[in-house]
Amino acid sequence: MKICFSVSLPKFDSLIDPRFGRAPYFLITDEKGENIEVIKNTGVEAMGGAGITAAQSVVSTGAKVIITGNLGPRAFDVLEASGVKIIIGISGISVKDALEKYQKGELKEMAKPSVPNHFGIGQRFGGGRGN
Amino acid sequence: MKKIGITGGKGGTGKSTVSILLANKYFKDGNKVVLVDCDVECPNDYLLLGKELKNPRERIYTDFPKLDKSKCQKCGLCVKTCRSNAIFQAPGQYPIFIKDLCSGCSACWLICPHKAIKPQKEETGQIFVSQLKKNYWLITGLAKAGLEETGPIVNQTKKFAMKFAQEKKADIVLLDTAAGTHCPVISALLGVDSAYAVTEPTPMGAVDLDLILDLCRKIKVPIEVILNQSDLGDKKEIQKIVQKHQTKIIKEIPYSKKIVQAYSRAKLLNFNFTWGN
Repeated sequence: MKICFSVSLPKFDSLIDPRFGRAPYFLITDEKGENIEVIKNTGVEAMGGAGITAAQSVVSTGAKVIITGNLGPRAFDVLEASGVKIIIGISGISVKDALEKYQKGELKEMAKPSVPNHFGIGQRFGGGRGN
Repeated sequence: MKKIGITGGKGGTGKSTVSILLANKYFKDGNKVVLVDCDVECPNDYLLLGKELKNPRERIYTDFPKLDKSKCQKCGLCVKTCRSNAIFQAPGQYPIFIKDLCSGCSACWLICPHKAIKPQKEETGQIFVSQLKKNYWLITGLAKAGLEETGPIVNQTKKFAMKFAQEKKADIVLLDTAAGTHCPVISALLGVDSAYAVTEPTPMGAVDLDLILDLCRKIKVPIEVILNQSDLGDKKEIQKIVQKHQTKIIKEIPYSKKIVQAYSRAKLLNFNFTWGN
């Protein structure tokens, strides 16, 4: 079964990126940490709908589990509808460590998105309405 | 009929206040004036003028895609075509349309080879007309809350306003835009005869002024600058930007407690402001 991690760098010892839609890369591997495949996240450049674009690329790889830091409501809905298992709240640790926790059954599936829309964009948008 | 845009880049610099003061001036000079609030996500000219938004004169509809599953072959062409990332499709599944990302551009139902996507109308905005005085009107566009792409609402509001202005034989149409330099602002500014950028002497004011002046050059709208609260900050950065874009500051408005009071009390309509020349 393919497991997908949002990662900051395109390698196995990278830290999990806390963002999903705006993460630079996705690392896909199996439960043993073998057959590693890295894809660039085209959602990074999207004006809007980054999470949807990212979710589209991830499901196209055939991944059945997603492990990431945060996931917005739109991406959450479409991934859930696609039958993908979603694990959020994981960041600050490497893919290797996260995978170990997953293997031990320490990571729980989430039932709700963890952040609102546009979370991963930081302060770039929405700050222009001063008083 | 002259069409003038009021914009500025940064939010809160006084675009609406200046729009009203300017509209007042044109009206006092004997013109028939139509003021159009194009900040459809958050229109507030009506508040500053002490009006209410009641009985929409016109409703704005947008076509959104609706899938006919009996015809869909799951080919994924619609997903590839959508520039708004508003269509998602898991392998082997039907596409899912995410309405709050959809701009209603119609590309998906035009491209669908199986005619499985049909446009479906939905109300996305309203247009209000308030008579302020004889020969002086306010037209307000209002987008439905949560709508992602409001450029089309601005376009519809503008179209309505232009027709209205022609019927009333208006001399001046003032288009008060939203903050920023994105689609709804561009929609409001396209086709105006000239524009004013209302800004303030702050670093953010200068940065955003640079952006809006650049935009206006690209869309070929002649633009000059009105510097609001001109005595409250450092003008140097603003002057640099103005010089860079070879335009000028045509009016400086010093901070005025009286304007702030009239603004807060919704009494800008009868505010006596001296524009000079």
